[in-house]
Amino acid sequence: MKNPLIRRIPRELRSDWHKYLVIIVFMVVMIGVISGMYVGHDSMLASVYSGWDELNLEDGSFELSSKANPELLADIASGNKADVREYFIKKGTEEAEKDVSKAIEEELNKQVTEAIEENVRAGLAAYGITDEEIIKKKIDETMAESFDEALKEARKSEEFKKAVEEAYSEAHSEVEKKVDEKWDEISERYNLDDESFAPVSVTLYENFYRDELEDNTGDGIEDAVIRVFKSDSEIDKASFNEGRAPENPSEIAIDRMHADNVNVKIGDSIKVGSKKFMVVGLLSYVNYLTLHQSNTDMMFDAFGFDVAMVTPEAFEELEARTHYSYAWKYDKEPKDKVEKADFSADFLKALITQTLVYDNEIKDFLPEYLRQASNFAVTDIEGDSSATGILCYILIGVIAFIFAITISNTIDKEASVIGTLRASGYSRSELVVHYMSMPLIVTLIGALIGNILGYTAFKNVAVNLYYQSYSLPSCRLVWSNTAIVKTTVIPLILMFFINLFVIVNKLRISPLRFLRHDLTKSKRTKARRLPKWSFLGRFRLRILFQNMPNYVVLIFGVVFIELMMCFAFGLNDSLDHYSEVAPDMMFAEYQYMLMDYRDSDGNTIKTAEPSAEAFDMKELLYPKKRSSFRTGMGSGGDESVTVYGIRSDSAYITLSKNLKEGEVLISSAFKKKFGIKNGDTVRLSEEYENKSYEFKVAGTVDYDGGIAVFMGREAFKDTFDRKEEEFSGFLSHKEITDIREDDIAMVITAEDVLKVTNQLKHSIGGIVNVFKYALTVMAAALIYLLAKIIIERNEHSISMSKILGFKNGEIGSLYIIPTAVVVVICSCIGFVAGYILMNWVFKIFMKQMDGYFAFYMTPLSMALSVIFLLVGYAFVSAIDYVRIKHIHLDVALKNIE
Amino acid sequence: MKEDFLEIKDLKKSFGTGEAKQEVLRGMNFTVKRGEFCVLLGPSGSGKSTLLNIIGGIDTPDEGYVSINGDKLEEMNEKELTLYRRKHLGYVFQMYNLIPNLNVKENIEVGAYLSDKPLDVEEVLTTLGLQDHKYKYPNQLSGGQQQRVSIGRAVVKNPDILMCDEPTGALDYKTSKEILSLIEDCNKKFGNTVIMVTHNEAIKNMADHVIKLRDGVVRHNDLNENKISAADLEW
Repeated sequence: MKNPLIRRIPRELRSDWHKYLVIIVFMVVMIGVISGMYVGHDSMLASVYSGWDELNLEDGSFELSSKANPELLADIASGNKADVREYFIKKGTEEAEKDVSKAIEEELNKQVTEAIEENVRAGLAAYGITDEEIIKKKIDETMAESFDEALKEARKSEEFKKAVEEAYSEAHSEVEKKVDEKWDEISERYNLDDESFAPVSVTLYENFYRDELEDNTGDGIEDAVIRVFKSDSEIDKASFNEGRAPENPSEIAIDRMHADNVNVKIGDSIKVGSKKFMVVGLLSYVNYLTLHQSNTDMMFDAFGFDVAMVTPEAFEELEARTHYSYAWKYDKEPKDKVEKADFSADFLKALITQTLVYDNEIKDFLPEYLRQASNFAVTDIEGDSSATGILCYILIGVIAFIFAITISNTIDKEASVIGTLRASGYSRSELVVHYMSMPLIVTLIGALIGNILGYTAFKNVAVNLYYQSYSLPSCRLVWSNTAIVKTTVIPLILMFFINLFVIVNKLRISPLRFLRHDLTKSKRTKARRLPKWSFLGRFRLRILFQNMPNYVVLIFGVVFIELMMCFAFGLNDSLDHYSEVAPDMMFAEYQYMLMDYRDSDGNTIKTAEPSAEAFDMKELLYPKKRSSFRTGMGSGGDESVTVYGIRSDSAYITLSKNLKEGEVLISSAFKKKFGIKNGDTVRLSEEYENKSYEFKVAGTVDYDGGIAVFMGREAFKDTFDRKEEEFSGFLSHKEITDIREDDIAMVITAEDVLKVTNQLKHSIGGIVNVFKYALTVMAAALIYLLAKIIIERNEHSISMSKILGFKNGEIGSLYIIPTAVVVVICSCIGFVAGYILMNWVFKIFMKQMDGYFAFYMTPLSMALSVIFLLVGYAFVSAIDYVRIKHIHLDVALKNIE
Repeated sequence: MKEDFLEIKDLKKSFGTGEAKQEVLRGMNFTVKRGEFCVLLGPSGSGKSTLLNIIGGIDTPDEGYVSINGDKLEEMNEKELTLYRRKHLGYVFQMYNLIPNLNVKENIEVGAYLSDKPLDVEEVLTTLGLQDHKYKYPNQLSGGQQQRVSIGRAVVKNPDILMCDEPTGALDYKTSKEILSLIEDCNKKFGNTVIMVTHNEAIKNMADHVIKLRDGVVRHNDLNENKISAADLEW
């Protein structure tokens, strides 16, 4: 026979449907969204991972200054180091021998000439001929007749042979000495003598590109930099989200995310350089999931940067210089991330030597695992999951406690029945199972519907969210075990244990005590003394004490919701605030970075702009102290730090302190992000060299725009071994117009800083607003459930109060005001706690990203984050009032049954 | 001659400590035979409900013991006590304590579920005159009808002992007589031992065995040779 108590469950669901509906909807939305996040997340990652193979993602790429010949490519592919010393000796010896042979020839000619001249003069002198004209004539004649013969004779002489041998030997040893010095320097710089070096053979692929300017609005003004690749590339291929690959020279396929941002659609025309193309496809390059133009960019820029594919013919027709970029794939796949790092380090050593011996030059080197453009999105998507998981558990915990309170209340109400059942022979465990079943069934229903929605509607929400941020390939739905575990198994476990704890505790008392309604564990024998308030005031206070557990859950829930509110309001505010202050944060309106301090003619670059001031600059890395594979070489893992060498009388940065040797000032952003204090030592390292520098922090420069270090120019030159006349660029208040475009590498203005915030706002702006309203509804639902329990618990008293003659308004004020007071106090405390927590969370979040901006909320947002919650509560109060109004007078008169 | 089924020996129970200590049972002794209709009679505070609770295994004595069919309750752990209640006891209280969201039939099934040898639920419903109400919920029934359901829930288990704690305490005269008749019928029909706690003197006339309690001790322990049916009771 089935336990007849089971039949209570559907009836209870029916009779209290509005309560369970709120809980189920709450759970469905929460589990649905989170399941959708996980499913979208796992599907997106699966699509990205499968794209790595299908689209042949590189293991790394390097750029050379000129096109590599087949021999160089073959030698690079072998992974072996070239014998650079031998090469230098050979090259040096050739040059030296040329010089020696030239010098010998000259000396020999000189000596033979002198000998002939001497002989002729001596011969003529014997005849008494002193006429210089005759002598000269005779010399010329003798030279013509016997110079060659004399030269021949001289060459045969032992003396000559010995002299030649000595000269060559001296030259050779000189060359070897110089090569040894040079080799020592190079091998130390690149750690080429590393004994652990093992050749890593690779397959190389040409992946040339050109950086052109794009005009996507047809107004003749360039809107973005567009990196154009050939459509026949065999490496780093693209997947097409829409349309197709270009088939003729007038067609182009561009990045989907960029197209979306700048509102370009298939069929539109865009201008690339001076050539017009029709857009035929929207794509996602496997190595450009985020549009990072440079690996050192603080943030990707899907507005100002684009990647595109054209036919090889169209590629040849473009005018911008070709970047000779080669991608490699390891012949033996590295087994883990550590091996990836080892492989790339060894490969770099081989590459350095090979390019040296072939007189080529490395312009860029980037192993794939450090590549921001292909890893940023993946790391971000991977990171998303833990945050959503924690969000889910906190909310499930809150709901579990609401259930526990509800059940605890039901047990109080059903004490006589429980006592009778226990007296009749029902075991405690049977009753525990009975009371546990409702929360578990509701969680299961919520999880089931939530997961169905997660796999359908909400998955697309999550995927679209990713699409709004990143240039990802088309998403294929995959089964997500994580989603099932995290949205069903763990919530059930949480629900199970929280309720088990409360119910077992509650049912621990004896059947007799249940029958006597003697349920309190408190030993308190006297009533709590209350202040001498009015009767109604004391009544409210009693209600407050009676419902303490409800209010504790409420406080917890409200703090959590306020934390989320701070996030929702603060994120936009922080971005806006950053945009507002960014222009002021620039210490120079223009920062010109030059290609070299000399122009192509070798003259030092000068400007007539009076506000221009030369400065030195260098990028170093600051370790983030993460145990991740991304630490170490490359800019992907460590924080990129800009080191400035500034004039002591600079108009832009005041190096007011008398900096001692080894002392520097750091930017306020650097200080805040890593919590560095004055007197601390920061250790910065070179990106591609095994070299690091230590600086003592002597003070701060008020600059929140970047992670930077400032020092005097003299100190800079000493530290980094720069020449006296060398400099990196100009800081200027005004635009500099007298420097050739070709000599300028980059100009940084406030606009460049703003592109970061613009991208973030575009990616998350919409969803944050939805989030605010969803939180308001959640807050209202939470308060609704807890307030309902309070009123249900007091139904008899409310009914009795009505019988005694209290008006609905008075009763409403008795039961609603205590909750209102708690909600208002909780909201304010919750806001403060949420704000402090969010500041802390934001700092941790920032540490995982490059760059820095502080968490900020406007006073209006602060007020609104509380007001939103209170509006939700006001709505619940209205429902509560109606509920109180509808309690009948006979509730107090009837039997419990 | 029927055998002794229930034995109460030197039972003592007190509540509170020190000056507030109140002795409710002060050494109680009696036996009840199988199938007997036994009434525990006494005024308020005489210890009859405490005694019933101890016999029911939901309270424990300070001294003495209760033995059912030779098994001493004092020697049972909580699990065994639950099993004892489950297998041997049926409870009827003054307040009916029905489950509000189960209908009449289901409330009776709650008892049947516990038993290895339950009676037929339909038969019990017929015996108790609840056939027409079996799909009604407790709040749709009168007090007397609710008490019938409560009796049904206890009887359907076919318990060895039916414990009734002031079953008519909340009912009017007419309904009380009906309920008493039903308990009498069940006792006759199903052969359960009935132990009924009441302060209504008139009820002793329908019992086989009357035990009068006062101040925690047995004042009278009489077998009723001239018992009358519940329908003939007057008070």
